[in-house]
Amino acid sequence: MLRVPSRTEFLALVRDVTRRMAEAAGFDGGVTEQIALAVDEATTNVMEHAYGGARDRVVELRYEDRGEELRVEVVDNGATVDRRAVPRVDLQRYATERRTGGLGIHLMERIMDSVTFRREVRQNVCRLVKRKPVGAEGRRA
Amino acid sequence: MSELQVDSRELEEVVLLYPRGFINAHTVRLFEGEIQKALDRQRFKIVVSCAELRYIASAGLGALMGVIEEVRTNGGDIRLADLNETVRNIFEILGFNHLYRIFPSEVEAILSFREGGETGGKRA
Repeated sequence: MLRVPSRTEFLALVRDVTRRMAEAAGFDGGVTEQIALAVDEATTNVMEHAYGGARDRVVELRYEDRGEELRVEVVDNGATVDRRAVPRVDLQRYATERRTGGLGIHLMERIMDSVTFRREVRQNVCRLVKRKPVGAEGRRA
Repeated sequence: MSELQVDSRELEEVVLLYPRGFINAHTVRLFEGEIQKALDRQRFKIVVSCAELRYIASAGLGALMGVIEEVRTNGGDIRLADLNETVRNIFEILGFNHLYRIFPSEVEAILSFREGGETGGKRA
């Protein structure tokens, strides 16, 4: 588990730790970078939306190598963000309307096998799951 | 250690930007600022040379999206060169390779502006 202050200067640390956890779980270089990006995006979403830019909160990251998949949960105790309010990505419209939101969630969903959001007692949990390639299931972090 | 440094230079009408390091939510303002400086000088032909860009998150991609219409409306374009595999993969995951012309080298990106093709969303 990793607990970091809700400040964007800690995103580099989140990325590094995630990459190492993914490597230890048996993913190869290109995929570890992508998983690190997905977790960076989830953490950024918490900092910017759930915490509204407040720098004095905490983001918790839970890593679990489940043998056949790597599971990462990004946990906050901020505001619940309604995912239905996040626009679906249409790049042509983004270019013409100068919109830049929603790209992060789109990236997360394209990279990971599943991205789910749930509300626990006073907590929001974003769970990201990446299945391992055949042959890497036996390796555990 | 600074996570991002962005050097720039001009070659005739073309502005070259050299991001070094990581572009994410923490560093994106610096990257946006360098693009904006070019626009403020009415320079709309921009090459982002990515040889030393190790990583780009959606914040950086959003920075490119936020100005591309203005750039193309003014007869220019933002073209990318020298992407490493990590950065190229991110572009492809989002389909940015269909919106931006990407070149193997900085020289080819610069020369593409001399070939008459000003605005373009297709991959080279």
